[in-house]
Amino acid sequence: MRLAREDLFWRIEPLLSMVERPSRYLNHEWGAVEEQPGPFHVCVMYPDVYDVGLPNLGLAILYDELNRLDGISCERAYLPWIDMSALMRERNIPLLSLESSSPVASFDIVGITLAHELVCTNIVEVLDLSGITLRADERDEDEPFVVAGGPSVWNAEPVAPMFDAMLLGDGEHALALISECVRDGRAQGLARVDILRRLAKLPGVYVPSLYDVVVDQTSTRWGYAVPKEGESVPEVVYKHCIEHLSDTEPVAQRIVPYLTVVQDRLTVEVLRGCARGCRFCQAGMTYRPVRERPKDQIIEAVNRGLQTSGYDECCLSSLSTTDHSQCADVLHELYAELGEKGVRVSIPSQRLDSFGVDMASAARSSRKTGLTFAPEAGSQRLRDVINKNVTDQNMDEAARNAFENGYRRMKLYFMMGLPTETDEDLRGIARMAERVAQIGREVCGPRSRVTVSISVAVFVPKCQTPFQWEGQLPLEETHRRQHVMLEAATDRAVRISYHDAETSLIEGVLSKMGRTGFDLVLAAWKNGCRFDAWTDQFDFDRWNDAARGIGLDLEDIACERFDLDARLPWDHVSPGVSKGFLQREWRRAVDEQTTKDCTMNSCTGCGVCQTLRVSNDLAGERQ
Amino acid sequence: MSTLDPHACRLRVRYKKDGRLAHLGHLEVMGTVMRSVRRAGLPFEVSNGFARRMRIQFCQALPVGASSVAEYFDLLMPEPVNADEALDELRRCTPPSLAPLEAALLPRRLPALEAWADRTQWDVLLDGGVDKQQFIDGLEAALARGTLEFMRGDKPRKLDLVSTLVSCDASASEEGLRLVLQTRATERGSLRPAVLVRSVAGCEPSYVCRMGQWHENPDGTLLSPL
Ligand code: SF4
Repeated sequence: MRLAREDLFWRIEPLLSMVERPSRYLNHEWGAVEEQPGPFHVCVMYPDVYDVGLPNLGLAILYDELNRLDGISCERAYLPWIDMSALMRERNIPLLSLESSSPVASFDIVGITLAHELVCTNIVEVLDLSGITLRADERDEDEPFVVAGGPSVWNAEPVAPMFDAMLLGDGEHALALISECVRDGRAQGLARVDILRRLAKLPGVYVPSLYDVVVDQTSTRWGYAVPKEGESVPEVVYKHCIEHLSDTEPVAQRIVPYLTVVQDRLTVEVLRGCARGCRFCQAGMTYRPVRERPKDQIIEAVNRGLQTSGYDECCLSSLSTTDHSQCADVLHELYAELGEKGVRVSIPSQRLDSFGVDMASAARSSRKTGLTFAPEAGSQRLRDVINKNVTDQNMDEAARNAFENGYRRMKLYFMMGLPTETDEDLRGIARMAERVAQIGREVCGPRSRVTVSISVAVFVPKCQTPFQWEGQLPLEETHRRQHVMLEAATDRAVRISYHDAETSLIEGVLSKMGRTGFDLVLAAWKNGCRFDAWTDQFDFDRWNDAARGIGLDLEDIACERFDLDARLPWDHVSPGVSKGFLQREWRRAVDEQTTKDCTMNSCTGCGVCQTLRVSNDLAGERQ
Repeated sequence: MSTLDPHACRLRVRYKKDGRLAHLGHLEVMGTVMRSVRRAGLPFEVSNGFARRMRIQFCQALPVGASSVAEYFDLLMPEPVNADEALDELRRCTPPSLAPLEAALLPRRLPALEAWADRTQWDVLLDGGVDKQQFIDGLEAALARGTLEFMRGDKPRKLDLVSTLVSCDASASEEGLRLVLQTRATERGSLRPAVLVRSVAGCEPSYVCRMGQWHENPDGTLLSPL
């Protein structure tokens, strides 16, 4: 039901003294757009609490862009924490936006970020709390259009029934086009379904209700989506892709929160896309091609962003910042300018093979927190399988550089359960960590407090990657392999932590299923699941019960392998990387053959550039 | 010609906290003030050592939910600035509900604000239903016992009421019972209005506002921070 647009802050104000962290619900932050004249109103929402959602750069970009447009206003909403949502339900208060404290169900468009698979139950919670009809095809004519976007749209089906439209790829300009399309359609008095048909013609927009799911002998048990009879919508929806990052506003993040949020700093996106070609990495396949922001624009943006926000830390973000052709120069220049002002400059994680001496010294402002590297696998053989083109020598040199530059802490990310993995590969992880600790002691002295923390995630096969046909490890086997690794690590300077195997299993299930996945998401939510990404809220038993209740077996789903030529549940949405390329990469993985990075070598034929008519856009020469 | 005293490198600012932002915690207010200082482009000293932090001092934490017209911070500066201009810049760069109200340059060497400002005046409102006489009787009984016993989180606490409560004037108003409290921070603790109201009247105050802070001289006279 479409609710009336009215300021309902007075209804939640009395609750503020009864909940944890009331500043989550206050609005009025520095940089927030208080005036929301509309008349067309969009609400962008991150389906988790404020402190997790606020730093999201994607939403910040959309908020900034939409609020610059005439006649369109954009507000934010987040999912209240369980204490607040319980009180709101008790008192019949619907979910509200932040800026005007209006019901989310009063907006024209509600945009929801699919940040990862584990927000699925939160999306149900958001819609339920808002009072928006859960299934898009049952919504009233005047209800908001609920639109998804973000990094996890690539297996859209398990949440697709809740969305009127899903935006694939870059959000810049696209949500504006969607908003204008809905606005104009409404103004012309078009029926909801006709507006949806128009939306389906926009670049990168997938409208699930205009597609049917077919299961046949060419598909997996989850089927594949085809245009509904009589609907002229594309068989494959390709993503929306901007050509140059330099054409976008570099300081998108303008809102400065009161409470400490997950990443409490200015973020400037310096690079989009990564062509390293790691075969497990969904972002590496779905964000291509590579688009660099030029150095001068980065420096100007950092200075302007710091000045207008008042932050004392800036993060140069991307999938692989040290790959930026001007990264070392940018770091040196910023450090020289900002170090004396007590401003830190950080980069999210460092590539082993591009982390040279100059980067170690330029990134020295992060010395206290330590450096993070992601070798991902413990043996050269397995690194070749996953196309992680780094060597033991790269690791050793990067470690030596870092220790010589004063770092004492090092964090290494690995994955377990990768295709073809053996126990020997797992022991290799422990050996690599111990070797790094040993280098640390050689450089810093035997009594120095060098620590090497290794964090081991469970491999989850993701769609749109060369490993999308793979199955996940069964729980028991995951636990056995964790044990193998623990036994192999004897150095006291090495600390091992694991990602929870059961959480990863749910991630795997949701990455694999088709539209039937929605029945599972709904059953899990009805069973009390929400905030599944929070370790203290995640409840595997509830998920298991929910699955059993509808005749599904979670392990069976996550561990299933698909035939290489089967039609997959996500074949109708594409980031532009061809299925043929992914199949070829899968075969090369099995043969332990690596594939080079096209930003440093020639094109390797992934198909993005030809399909989307774009190309890598570098600011300088990469080495 | 500048007439600024070269030793007056401490900018003391009085600011308010009201509206929705009354719900901010002390750390959140501190973070916001520091960001406002950076946005205003004011010069500030940075601490030595690895974590190079802004050298700034705050007064005692205001309880979450409480408003104030008498919060203070001291910013240590490498050189003196014009206090009025600094105030204007700060005002431009601070959320209105935390707006700075007054600023002055003070000598660099002064005791830390938090310990120095040990006297506070509070304006407290109790929703209808609490009778003035009943409250006064309850307060007198508490004063006769001498100590307040209360829970902070799940820990039992005790506070000497005689030394921390200087005075309490109660008056009935249209909105409910209004209290004007004078409290004193001692080495063993300070009295929060909500704790007093909870113990004496068994309810939560509907409004708490810090109206002023001072330093108490040994002879009992009060010294203003500005
Ligand atoms: S098409 Fe070629 S150049 Fe373009 S991203 Fe793919 S591999 Fe790189």
